[in-house]
Amino acid sequence: MQRNTPALYDAAFEHDSCGFGLIAHVGGRASTWLVDQAFAALCKMSHRGGVNADGVTGDGCGILLHRPEAWLRALAADAGIAPTRRFAAGLVFLDPDPAHAAAACATLERCLQEEGASPCGWRDVPVEDAPCGPLGTASRPRIAQIFVDTGADMEAAAFERALFRARRRAEATLAADSRFYVASLSASNIVYKAMAAPGRLRDVFPDLQRADLAASAATFHQRFSTNTLPNWRLAQPFRLLAHNGEINTIRANRTWTASRATKWKSPLVDFSDLGALVGSDGSDSQSLDNMLEVLLAGGIDLLAAMRILIPPAWSAQETIDEDLEAFYEYYALHTEPWDGPAGLVMCDARYAACSLDRNGLRPARWARSDDDHLIVASEAGLWDVPERRIVAKGRLGPGEMLAVDLVEHRLLDAAAIDAVNRARAPFKRWLREGVTYLDSHLIDPALAAEPFPPEMLARFQKQFALTREERDVVLKALAEDEAEATGSMGDDTPIAVMSRQSRPLYEYFRQAFAQVTNPPIDPLRERLVMSLVTQIGREGNVFELSPENARQVLLNSPILSQRKLRQILALPEYAAHQCKLDLYYDEREGLRAAITRLCAQAEEAVRNGAVVLLLSDRYPVPGLLPVHALLATGAVHAHLLKKQLRSDCNILVETGNMRDAHHCACLIGFGATAVYPYLAYQTLFDMNRRGELKGREGEPPHEIGRSYRRGIRKGLLKILSKMGISSIAGYRGAGLFEIVGLDREVVELCFPGTPSRIGGAGFADIEAEYRAQLAAARDPNYALPPGGLMKAVPDGEYHMYNPAVVGALQAAVRTGDAALYRQYAQAVNARAPSALRDLLALVPANAPIPLDDVEAGAKILKRFDSAGMSLGALSPEAHEALATAMNRLGARSNSGEGGEDPARYGTERMSKIKQVASGRFGVTPAYLVNAEVLQIKIAQGAKPGEGGQLPGHKVNALIARLRYAKPGIGLISPPPHHDIYSIEDLAELIYDLREVNPRALISVKLVAHAGVGTIAAGVVKAGADLITISGHDGGTGASPWSSIRYAGVPWELGLAETHQTLVMNGLRGRVILQTDGGLKTGLDVVKAAILGADSFGFGTAPMVALGCKYLRICHLNSCATGVATQNDILRRKHFLGAPEMAENFFRFVAEDVRGILASLGARTLGEIVGRTELLRPLGGVTVKQGRLDLSPLLARAALADGAFSACVPPVRTTGLAERIAADTERAIAEDKSAHFHYAIRSTDRAIGARTAGEIARRYRDAGLGEAALTLEFTGSAGQSFGAWNAPGMRLVLVGEANDGVGKGMAGGRIVVRPPAEARCATQETAIVGNTCLYGATGGEFFAAGRAGERFGVRNSGALAVIEGVGDHGCEYMTGGTVVVLGRTGLNFGAGMTGGFAYVLDVERDFVDRYNHELVDIHRISLEGMENHLQHLRSLLRSHIDATASAWGARLLADFRDVLHKFWLIKPKAASLEALTEELRRAA
Amino acid sequence: MTDKTFPFLKFHRQLPREVPVPVRVLNYAEIHGDFVNGDAGDQAARCIDCGNPYCSWGCPLHNRIPQWLKLVRDGRIEDAAALMYETNPLPEICGRICPQDRLCEGDCTLQTGFEAVTIGAIERWATDEALRRGWRPVSTAAPTGRRVAVVGAGPAGLAVADRLARAGVAVEVFDRQDEIGGLLTFGIPPFKLDKAVVRTRRDVLEGLGVRFRLATDVGRDVAFSTLLSDYDAVFVGTGAYRHVDAALPGQALAGVHPALPFLVANAKRILYGTDAGLPNLIGRRVVVLGGGDTAMDCVRTAIRMDAESVTCVYRRDEANMPGSRREVKYARDEGVEFRFNRQPLEILGGADGARAVRVVETRLVADAHGRARPEPVPGSEEEIAADVVILSFGFLASPPDWCTDAGIALDAAGKLVVGAEGRLPLQTSHPKVFAGGDAVRGADLVVRAVYDGREAAKSILRALGLVEAAAAA
Repeated sequence: MQRNTPALYDAAFEHDSCGFGLIAHVGGRASTWLVDQAFAALCKMSHRGGVNADGVTGDGCGILLHRPEAWLRALAADAGIAPTRRFAAGLVFLDPDPAHAAAACATLERCLQEEGASPCGWRDVPVEDAPCGPLGTASRPRIAQIFVDTGADMEAAAFERALFRARRRAEATLAADSRFYVASLSASNIVYKAMAAPGRLRDVFPDLQRADLAASAATFHQRFSTNTLPNWRLAQPFRLLAHNGEINTIRANRTWTASRATKWKSPLVDFSDLGALVGSDGSDSQSLDNMLEVLLAGGIDLLAAMRILIPPAWSAQETIDEDLEAFYEYYALHTEPWDGPAGLVMCDARYAACSLDRNGLRPARWARSDDDHLIVASEAGLWDVPERRIVAKGRLGPGEMLAVDLVEHRLLDAAAIDAVNRARAPFKRWLREGVTYLDSHLIDPALAAEPFPPEMLARFQKQFALTREERDVVLKALAEDEAEATGSMGDDTPIAVMSRQSRPLYEYFRQAFAQVTNPPIDPLRERLVMSLVTQIGREGNVFELSPENARQVLLNSPILSQRKLRQILALPEYAAHQCKLDLYYDEREGLRAAITRLCAQAEEAVRNGAVVLLLSDRYPVPGLLPVHALLATGAVHAHLLKKQLRSDCNILVETGNMRDAHHCACLIGFGATAVYPYLAYQTLFDMNRRGELKGREGEPPHEIGRSYRRGIRKGLLKILSKMGISSIAGYRGAGLFEIVGLDREVVELCFPGTPSRIGGAGFADIEAEYRAQLAAARDPNYALPPGGLMKAVPDGEYHMYNPAVVGALQAAVRTGDAALYRQYAQAVNARAPSALRDLLALVPANAPIPLDDVEAGAKILKRFDSAGMSLGALSPEAHEALATAMNRLGARSNSGEGGEDPARYGTERMSKIKQVASGRFGVTPAYLVNAEVLQIKIAQGAKPGEGGQLPGHKVNALIARLRYAKPGIGLISPPPHHDIYSIEDLAELIYDLREVNPRALISVKLVAHAGVGTIAAGVVKAGADLITISGHDGGTGASPWSSIRYAGVPWELGLAETHQTLVMNGLRGRVILQTDGGLKTGLDVVKAAILGADSFGFGTAPMVALGCKYLRICHLNSCATGVATQNDILRRKHFLGAPEMAENFFRFVAEDVRGILASLGARTLGEIVGRTELLRPLGGVTVKQGRLDLSPLLARAALADGAFSACVPPVRTTGLAERIAADTERAIAEDKSAHFHYAIRSTDRAIGARTAGEIARRYRDAGLGEAALTLEFTGSAGQSFGAWNAPGMRLVLVGEANDGVGKGMAGGRIVVRPPAEARCATQETAIVGNTCLYGATGGEFFAAGRAGERFGVRNSGALAVIEGVGDHGCEYMTGGTVVVLGRTGLNFGAGMTGGFAYVLDVERDFVDRYNHELVDIHRISLEGMENHLQHLRSLLRSHIDATASAWGARLLADFRDVLHKFWLIKPKAASLEALTEELRRAA
Repeated sequence: MTDKTFPFLKFHRQLPREVPVPVRVLNYAEIHGDFVNGDAGDQAARCIDCGNPYCSWGCPLHNRIPQWLKLVRDGRIEDAAALMYETNPLPEICGRICPQDRLCEGDCTLQTGFEAVTIGAIERWATDEALRRGWRPVSTAAPTGRRVAVVGAGPAGLAVADRLARAGVAVEVFDRQDEIGGLLTFGIPPFKLDKAVVRTRRDVLEGLGVRFRLATDVGRDVAFSTLLSDYDAVFVGTGAYRHVDAALPGQALAGVHPALPFLVANAKRILYGTDAGLPNLIGRRVVVLGGGDTAMDCVRTAIRMDAESVTCVYRRDEANMPGSRREVKYARDEGVEFRFNRQPLEILGGADGARAVRVVETRLVADAHGRARPEPVPGSEEEIAADVVILSFGFLASPPDWCTDAGIALDAAGKLVVGAEGRLPLQTSHPKVFAGGDAVRGADLVVRAVYDGREAAKSILRALGLVEAAAAA
């Protein structure tokens, strides 16, 4: 790719994820055995790593060794170096050029000497190239090892600090030398890492093969990155830690840390001349490593430092120790969490530790042997210690930490670490004395006390361009329902910059969302990990433990009431230290100058001691123009950050233009501490006075301010959660948006660092819009404008599916008249430019050719898919009509996420694409094998970062049956796929799906946003065959309006970026690229092809063809056209669609494409893919459109340069699965019983899935008959053991298993039990990993041991007995029975709407551990609940029979006594009587 | 759940009670009663509030129909009236006489497979009710000191007067008749639009400060040049009163009447008791030629004038009639006989007047523009007996002579030319003169005249510098 062409790829978008581990000897004994175990374990995690385009080079792996002193001395001696008693060794990457390398070495030596250390020699580190592969070798640095003696009288910690300072200074000095990199330089640890093929690290470095290599602790890491541009320094471990996961708050962490550089002073070490504390490039993990290093150097020990950086969800734990809570709260006043999925292993001079993020999104399994070795790793089964020698094993729970004290030789569990931390200072007392809590008041009399007079309100509403739609839809819903308004269908209006109308500035900002590389959080069901707590005050020095640092004001959320704002301003500590900045300016000054002036004023005020800055547009001045609060907030925040003053003050924003949660998120995301949206309150007050608001019971509401704030808070949590961020502190100032349509001058001044890739409106244009808006506000005839952004209004915003377009399309497809199609296409293609593609005109490169020379329409039709629309959202009639049409055309329809009626399998009504979404509704083995394509829906255009939702009134008996749910109960899919929290998890799911249906192509659906190309590269490396890039404008059956309107970007951007990135990485040839989002005509298809699409998805257009009139009431079930409803009458009498209509549409489009191809001189659609010279940008019809620069879309990715790599299949270790397939073939074919036995290892993944697929292919979900196929295994099973288990399959695993056991199980039985010689008590020992039984629809599961997080999530039919579960057990469960014979984690039963559970509550605290929202709990009394009693007893018996569990036997023996410790947990909506009745019938 | 009944399934389309035919033909009162308690709310609740409000798109005024239906549903009648009034200066009138079946209701989503929401009836009821409750539109601006003359107190003139008065402009409306309304008062029969409604509207407008100078014929009683010099701008809304002359043999016979004079004479008779020029139809056989809404007004008037029989003769078929379907139904209900596909060839008769109309049967063939063109079927002539023949072949703009004198450009059909290059919308070639309604369009719907008036007011405010260009755009 040409570097000088501005294109859409940006290295800043790269992500990584991985497998990691730690082995340590608690007694501190160094051994070669330990080192060998570490390398062996690393080899077993190769499936967690990525492989590059050359098919060999890995994404990087490495090992950190603790004090391998003898070995280092030997290495030194061999090189003629003789370090003294205390010495450090370091591994340094250098420029291959010897002169450059020598200069760098000299600089490092000089810095070391200046810090008082004595370099005593260098040696070249031998490296083997073959295991690195061509790409790894090409990028390999020269690698040298340095030995450094300690300075005179330097104690160990001081020596480490000197090494730290010397290295940091050398890095700062050599900033221009991109090859210089110190992998590690420490007296306690050394790191070796390489871009080696997974598992071949030891082959790269002969040093590591030496027999004298012994260590007492080691951490290791295998990387999977989205990029393929190899970079040795990004391999892990870093100098202290190795990270599996992703830091979602990285932007906030980096900028806030930078702003604190002058504030953070340690008496031990001077940071002032070291350059940035935390690197702003490189990976998020690298920055975290930098940060940890700084805290340690400054004198905070590892146990505290790690808990400060990645704290557990302490604020949600009701039972947390007060002093411990105070420890967390104290540090939260001065830092924000590094938030996101994180499994971390780390090692410094004192501790080797492992820690997990608050949500437990990465697995970490540990085991301890009888000779005092501890292993912690991403997986169980990585070391070769026999079970009889294991004395304990378990898993780290969310927010837990485990450490080995390498000095005092003891193992510290979470409680021991907490005990150390809480005792560090009298935090509780300091907080009690220093912190003021401005708690929310029950009523808000200040608001009622000061209503604006009507004419003043009208003036403000006009000035701030409030629309009637905002008032009647947005504000009203927030105040009445305490939630955002719901809508349906997509956003078919032009994006803000394309609009011919003046659109709110906030609309130029598109919310960032997590996809694939990190998961969204679930703000509905896992709210407990989230916090909006906001502090006001001046931050202190984190290195200084002092009560002064606790003098702060705390708010429970950043949305202020008038009363709260006044209270803050009146607090004695701030009364004299505040500054109000009026946001009005004289036009002659100019907007840009006015913003610059505000920045200077803010700076001056803070320098003069202001702690509170109030930016306000509350007092307009006649004749002056307002500076938009968002521009001012962003600019002032950025300016103060730059001046390192931001942590000394707080920015409060009092503005009339904030209305909804997105507006609020923009203000906070660009730096506001808190906001006061006065006009929203005033408008609501006026509406209430006029009787326009209704409370819950139809009475006028009293507390509209509070309700509004609650609604905004919910929305805000949702926006945070989409990015996987759990606390507002990590969101504030992070700028997690993509700007579409603002000029560089605006972005640089107000929103620096936020992607804005195609330019757009500048200050002058924004100013001109204000002027017009103010002029309009002066028009006496001006009433509140209608708005028309959500629903089309004739004089409002343009809608691309306006009545004329809908009417024309329907006329064309009903008659089949090509002339009418041309009228329709004309109405679409000749519209005023509305989509980005409308600003791109075709440029024929060749002379036109005759139409007959163009490929047949049938070939083009094969490239068309219908977009995923679930049965449930659509009526069965519409869903089947579309499937029939696509099948008849030789194209493919997409089932959507609602399952499919098995009666359709094998008929022309079957959807060839089966979707696998986070809800896993009806994803059974038969569903999966009846597909040509399996699509993993990561995100959907209308609401990326959120799950689908189906309102209860659309769940009728049929829908409930197909989705394994209860009629009438609404269904919400979890925001994340609970088996995809990172890229290697996606690789696993792809692997699982291939196992169950080896014939299907695997597709992954993503949504366009800056960086999607990089994600796509990772997805290709994870093994996908097809990638869909959806535009923001995709449709939906039901979604909050703000999601429909503010997330995702146009597909043009995402598609071009993806195509360019894949070409650049040599991955484009491995994948079929599809786009969807508002495609309407052949011209759309041709333009999409030119921008890089091979294939095309259509959602709304074929629906319109089938009769949809774009009524946007899908979520109400009242669709009058019978398309998006389950209402019998509407479906039967009013659905008039026929497959022929959809067929006509697609044929028209295909013919349209042919015509355009002929005019371009192209014979096939395939030959124009990526040929961007066939497009040229147009100027558009408005000033703003004219300012757009679409050339990055057209940057020609160097397709012709032979960059296409050979297709390299991802690593597949299928030996065992293949053996099983061969062994069982006859038994399955003949439906005979059979029994086999195998050994299993952690690298044997998804075992059972292939067999389940084979069974389903023959017998559908009925599975095998009475005769069972028994497969017995011994060992540690890899991930997804027993996935999609089919009826008739009995899997018995003697040993243990990793994550995802029995995911999607449809029937049969899975048993996991420890070997007879195991020594651990089963009810205390982890035996299976996280998210077991995810989406199971049937079958039985027995495990003698504990499970991890989210056991039985979305279970809809399986029966399970387990001896303990982690947090979020039975989440989203809609059916089945779960028995927990041991301790449960927090948040049990969140979102559970069906099935029931029995939980043993020995410690009598279950009441605090279950989620009270949807379930209730009952004692199982001896009277009246005999059925339950019998049922529980019989399940206990089955469990004992299956697993021989000693714990189970004990419980059964004492059954009468333990019975009263059991709870029955059931959905509130289900009555006990009904449940009992069900049991009786089942019995 | 799926058994939930949505309002549009639960409530059927229901218009206010229709006065039974035998009763209603006895007088000229409006044929619909009012919605009774809650009916309007239930009917309004049938609206499904489409994402694409086809009704608004179908309405020439782009009325905010779903929004005000919701207000009516919620019982917020005054708010609904205010919202109706925001886009429509004459909502109670449009609610009565708009051919909703061809506009909003015809485009209503529920029209397919269900029945359209009763948009017109609700509009009518809600404005009437709000006015009854004392709701009145208010002026939103301080007096500007600017003055505008409006010539013609028809729908266009009333609309422009309303919008200007609210913007603080002093408006004087001139009309040659002694009551406001133009065709609203003198053309449209009272059974469609009760004249009290127009009088109420007059009160409302006068309440806003509009001055009516009635029985004042511009060009005769006051010179147009005086208006040009005395006012900051002039709006011309003089309508289309010239009837299309079909040059039918025998049209000069006694008993043959052009439609409009017939209707005007009847209106004046009802208003003032005068019956100059009005034929006596009692016991006569009446044939009305033409198929537009005016023809419908004529047949239904004739029924009420006790004609022995009333026949409507139209040269195309029923589906191709320009008149509103609803009016055809009412006419049929009231006893009018329709003869479709009959082209009149000649009116037969003698000295004592008309005797019959000779017609030929037609069949429809598509012409170049896709409109069905009637073609005579040879040998199918017949006679339809007629004592009175009313000619309703359409109307043409009737520009007053002073237009040309003032240099206002007209097109070949005599319509005032507005909004050409370099002009504001609805501005004529004379920069101070604006025009709209039938004078600009030729005979057209009242609602379009109202639209012109509303838009002309915007242009006038811009021309007078009372609104900034950016805001009006």
